[in-house]
Amino acid sequence: MKTLEVQNSQIFDKSAISFLKRNVFQQTVADELAGGGRMIALTPVDKSNPEKIVAVIAHNASSMIHIIGGKFENGKYEFESWAKEFPQTNYFECELSENYGYLPVNHPWLRPVRKQNIILGGKPYPFYNIEGDEVHEVAVGPIHAGVIEPGHFRFQCHGELVYNLEINLGYQHRGVEALFLKSNPAQRIILAESTAGDTTIGHTFAYCRAMESLSHTNLSLRAETIRMMAAEMERTAMHLTGLGGVSNDIGFALASSSYGRLRTLVINSLALICGSRYGRGLFVCGGVRFDVNEEIISQYKENLNVVLNDVRQINEYLFSSIGAVSRFEDTGAVDKKLAQSMGLVGQAARSCGLEEDVRIHFPYGAYRYNPVSMITLSSGDVFARARLRDLEMVEALCFVLDQADHLPAGELRIEPAAPAADSGVVSMVEGWRGEIAHLAFTDVNGELTNYKIKDPSFNNWYGLSLALRQTAISDFPLCNKSFDLSYAGHDL
Amino acid sequence: MDIEIIQGIISLLLLILLAPLFSGVVNKLKAKMTGRIGAPVLQPYYELKRLFRKETINASNSSFISRFSPILNFVAVIIAAAMLPVGFWKPLISFNGDIILFAYILGLARFFQILAAMDIGSSFEGMGAAREVTFALFAEPIFFFTIGSIAFVSGAASLYEIYHSIHLDNISYMVFVVICSISIFMLAVTECSRMPVDDPNTHLELTMIHEVMILDNSGFDLFLYQYSGYIKLFIYTVLEISFFNPFGKESYLVYAGIFIVIAFALAFLLGMAETITSRYRMKNIPQYLLFATAIGILNLLIFTFTQ
Repeated sequence: MKTLEVQNSQIFDKSAISFLKRNVFQQTVADELAGGGRMIALTPVDKSNPEKIVAVIAHNASSMIHIIGGKFENGKYEFESWAKEFPQTNYFECELSENYGYLPVNHPWLRPVRKQNIILGGKPYPFYNIEGDEVHEVAVGPIHAGVIEPGHFRFQCHGELVYNLEINLGYQHRGVEALFLKSNPAQRIILAESTAGDTTIGHTFAYCRAMESLSHTNLSLRAETIRMMAAEMERTAMHLTGLGGVSNDIGFALASSSYGRLRTLVINSLALICGSRYGRGLFVCGGVRFDVNEEIISQYKENLNVVLNDVRQINEYLFSSIGAVSRFEDTGAVDKKLAQSMGLVGQAARSCGLEEDVRIHFPYGAYRYNPVSMITLSSGDVFARARLRDLEMVEALCFVLDQADHLPAGELRIEPAAPAADSGVVSMVEGWRGEIAHLAFTDVNGELTNYKIKDPSFNNWYGLSLALRQTAISDFPLCNKSFDLSYAGHDL
Repeated sequence: MDIEIIQGIISLLLLILLAPLFSGVVNKLKAKMTGRIGAPVLQPYYELKRLFRKETINASNSSFISRFSPILNFVAVIIAAAMLPVGFWKPLISFNGDIILFAYILGLARFFQILAAMDIGSSFEGMGAAREVTFALFAEPIFFFTIGSIAFVSGAASLYEIYHSIHLDNISYMVFVVICSISIFMLAVTECSRMPVDDPNTHLELTMIHEVMILDNSGFDLFLYQYSGYIKLFIYTVLEISFFNPFGKESYLVYAGIFIVIAFALAFLLGMAETITSRYRMKNIPQYLLFATAIGILNLLIFTFTQ
């Protein structure tokens, strides 16, 4: 067996991975990718000794995760890049190169991911530029006019039309992955909660599942269901925020302020359960910290019914407004083939017609017993991305209301055992933005040797670049908001 | 002193002093319509006071154009305001053909604002300037095909006389005037960078038109730009109100009543437009402006042929 096949958040023995020689490794990964796999991580097993790396490939069709190990001896960290044939591996290779000094040979576009001053492949990174009489370059950020996260965008324009957008991130790099190794379990959960402020529950969910798998802890159905409800609440709240942002960007004040008002109601309902509007402190390894009683449930249902009712009307109003739809349609379109080859995930992929949903392809937690429906749209433009969020939000609200009626009984919290030694786990969760993957490896003492986080923004930022091609530069904020990507989640 | 000069001064002062209040009312109404409490009606005055006291910081690579453009812009707008007839009083500056001066003194203000925006060399401001020029090109004919067509019909050539020639006793003339006022409203929306052409509240540099041009201005310079912005909006409002003046020997009280009611109606319309419409795509704005021009031309043609 050249590859190790595991399920989502299934613990595996590190010795079960066969670490292949360079050529075999390259070929095996290429075969996996050609077979319809999607790369979700390319990282060493041990952060301090990067000679053994794993390529983690997810296969939607079989719901299996394939792990291919590679061993690079004598400090010769070179492999033939896959990126020419499979553009989706492009960014993963850059990341590996940046962090561990690997050199992907014949890489088409080796560039810094987070450390903008790093020199990769022997020469400083040159920004793209176009020359000509009527072309101009617009550089935006990393400090913006509004209170948003830092990111640097370079547009090569011809008049109002964008030819190329280059996105440079890393200004929020805090070393989260390294901090995971240094800190103790009590601190780690706080780290997971603060990985990306808008995906608190998503990342904490993935972290908890990874740790529970490593310690063979099985949760009660009640704890799983409360987690799932919280995750869907986060989805609803963030979709409301996103739609509010999209309406605000086209100056549609009525929709924008209504979405803002409803979002408050949703996050306040989350606070009813755990005391934090963003769901901080709710998740704990081995279960959840807070229970819901009848009183909370009824208040919660009352709030959500108000939201559901209002949101349907506002969605109808927004998506039947000629002004709004004329701004949304055909703006920043990404076609399905491109989206697939780039490996877009989550709502950005689903709005291009790709079926990508961890809750369905790699079910976890209570989603194993309560399937959600796959929602996709085909046009891949701002309209599709906005409309998809509208549909998903209504779906999530109905789902949560339904779950609240049938909460199973069970123990809230089980004290987890210590993580198993010499093991590994791949934990995937569908955050509101898309697929979140956390990888953990332990050593002989059960201590973490590497903890790798992949936020959906990591896959999707490049999608934004592509959406902007031949789009008016004045539509950039709208496209950006429709993707709604995280800087912190990417920069880690 | 001549009574006319005193009346002219009083109306100019009224225009200047009430201008921020009108913007405050628009913003308040907009907030109410979206279910928010909103900033106080007097907020624009507070903003101006704050900016007035602040120090001006200029970009280090800016030239003298950036220094005098805010003053010139402000003075030009004040001169335009001085040419505007308020009620039945004669404005401070009024002569035959002042309609041309009125249009181009505002044009001059814009010209220097655009120069100042390009002076700093920022790519945003360059884009903003390019957009402003492009849309101004389409906006200019609107003014001449509306106010100009009333002038053409009446034979008068000063704003004061043009507005005095308006008499709302004839139905077809009334329709003519009402349609002119629609064109002027569309022009006002463009000139004062309101929705659906420009979004005064956006924080997104890449979509701004007017706001981006003053991105590098601060303190007193920004005060001048903001204040002239408020006055400009109010100038167009008064242009609108004057369409519906019952000129002649009316009482001050009736006039003040009409002034307030129409001003509120316009503020409501502006607020409403900003609440329920979304902004046009940048490339569709010229269509919107050409539409306003077309209304003006058709209106004039239909009126002259039906007379």
